[in-house]
Amino acid sequence: MSGFITRLWALAKKEVLHMARDPQVILLALGMPLLLVVLFGYAVSFDVEDVPLAVVDQDHSPASRDFAARMDESDAFRIRFRLESEAEAEALFRADKVKAALVIPEGYARSLTRGEPTELQLLMDGADGTTARVAVGYASQMGQLETLRRVQDGLTMSMPLEPRVRTWFNPTMDSAVFVVPGLVAIILAVLSVLLAALTVAREWERGSMEQLFATPVDRLAVVLGKVLPYVALGILQFMLVLAAGAWLFDVPLRGRFVTVLLAVILFLTCSIGQGLLISMVTRNQQVATQVGAVSSILPALLLSGFLFPVENMPLILQVISRIVPARYLISVLRAVLLQGRSITDLGGPFLSLVLLAIALITLTTLKFRRRLD
Amino acid sequence: MKDGVVIEVEGLSRRFGHFLAVDKVSFDVKRGEIFGYLGANGAGKSTTIRMLCGLLKPSEGRAAVNGVDVAHDPEGVKRSIGYMSQKFSLYMDLTVTENLEFFGGAYGLSRRQLAVRTDEVLRAVDMIEQRDTRTGDLPGGMRQRVALASAMIHDPPILFLDEPTAGVDPEARRTFWQLIRTLAGQGTTIFVTTHYMDEAEYCHRIGLMVDGRLVALDAPEVLKRTHVPGRICRVEGSGASRALPVLGGLPGVLEAHPFGAGLHVRFDETRTGMAALQAALHDKGLDGFALTPIAPTLEDVFLAVVEAK
Repeated sequence: MSGFITRLWALAKKEVLHMARDPQVILLALGMPLLLVVLFGYAVSFDVEDVPLAVVDQDHSPASRDFAARMDESDAFRIRFRLESEAEAEALFRADKVKAALVIPEGYARSLTRGEPTELQLLMDGADGTTARVAVGYASQMGQLETLRRVQDGLTMSMPLEPRVRTWFNPTMDSAVFVVPGLVAIILAVLSVLLAALTVAREWERGSMEQLFATPVDRLAVVLGKVLPYVALGILQFMLVLAAGAWLFDVPLRGRFVTVLLAVILFLTCSIGQGLLISMVTRNQQVATQVGAVSSILPALLLSGFLFPVENMPLILQVISRIVPARYLISVLRAVLLQGRSITDLGGPFLSLVLLAIALITLTTLKFRRRLD
Repeated sequence: MKDGVVIEVEGLSRRFGHFLAVDKVSFDVKRGEIFGYLGANGAGKSTTIRMLCGLLKPSEGRAAVNGVDVAHDPEGVKRSIGYMSQKFSLYMDLTVTENLEFFGGAYGLSRRQLAVRTDEVLRAVDMIEQRDTRTGDLPGGMRQRVALASAMIHDPPILFLDEPTAGVDPEARRTFWQLIRTLAGQGTTIFVTTHYMDEAEYCHRIGLMVDGRLVALDAPEVLKRTHVPGRICRVEGSGASRALPVLGGLPGVLEAHPFGAGLHVRFDETRTGMAALQAALHDKGLDGFALTPIAPTLEDVFLAVVEAK
């Protein structure tokens, strides 16, 4: 056993020396996360603000002007044009001058005063699906509120049900707060897989792997000797991203730090295991980089619940997402950072991370052939 | 294990797909011997050495190193040998000492053993002064000595060196070979591959590899006597190409071939002599050639063996 520790120590120490002396690794490992947080934090926004709106008011009544004014007052829409016909609106859509058009038909005010059902039409540019979905949500909410207001005024009675919506954990519905936990997973996944994939492939190319295999090192020591230093580097990256998120976007830490740290360590073990596996199979830095990039970015971005909720995916993708470690890390991060939940609530994701980590390290170790054939 | 034999090889073969890289090779190496494995690139030298180091599984035959079978217990083999691979793959961003400490650690040396051995091997390869230099900043000859030092950090009784002097200047090669002979003198067995014929002269015994087969095996002197019988003389002068057909056709001349600017002519000294060769040239009106007797080299052996095939 002491022989194992001696060997592990020698291997890990060498890896740390490599890292410390390679300015590229330092730049990549510490500069990239910061850059990505800033880019993603500002760019990936699900908030909808100031959608340019054209109003086609065919009613010309105080009621119609009142409703249009309410739309303009909301953060979501901004009236840019006041038009007479739908056809004009269509031209503006094609010229990309507006993203939405509100059509208030003639007779709107009359129907309202008579208490007849009436209609408003919202035309939305669906080319940008996310914006359209959110904007339609806002608009229909405003339509409902208007209805309720009218009903209330006309009948002068109190509402039997009055919805008061409060959003917990992220009261301002600020997407940066929601994005940063996902971003942590993506940054850690991509960088760990890539750095790990490069290290073994580099040793194959330079021939030092052959030299190493001529010594009686056990493969678990070789694998762990690579994993441990890169886990340490990953923890550093994680803290950097978390600090940047807190400073730039007020991402909170409502739960305990150790809980997220534990999840991050398990996640890093999975990612590094994945990178080493790629490296061992390809034995070539260039191929390893490409396979590493694709196999880390795509699942972390698409199958992790970062952009799309896992529950909304087709069944087959839901099943595949069960072996995507990023999925569990993201749910732990959101739960702990935003909701302040503790590890006892998160048994499921933690168990999955542990199982994936064990599986990947085992697979990597078994795949690590110390023979050259 | 036979008396004093530390490497035993019997019918060892290695196949890569349809390609037979090593074909039924058999030999023994004794303790303290410098055993040279000579051959062109791709002749199967590295494949043999990798099988003996437990890095490649033999396809057929058996080999034992220090009494341990390489196929059944490659890890057992690794403990008792030092291996310096073809590219002498050190870590260029680490210092000399850091490299030695890394390999020492990989062999499982304790901190105290490591400190003692690092000093010993650095002294042995005369690199004490460069111990804190980055390996990448050293000239090739010194790197090669560091590679040797790291291959012997755990004090192995057998060293396998695969083309240790490739790409190193002649001066550094000479220094390196002095080192090898000193080690062998102290009882270390050395198995070394090379394609430099002059280096092979330093070996106690030589195995000649051609296309995966061991075609000759003996001490350099014996090889020369058996494969290059007769005497050799060097023919120098202008118009050597015209002299070649004349000399090649004479009775008693075993072989004549161009060598550098001149010719090498080998003859049976019981049937002809240098004076007879000179006279034959003169008869054809070819004068002004200088004939000097030379000793056969291993290169001549190699050529003779390859031609005989």
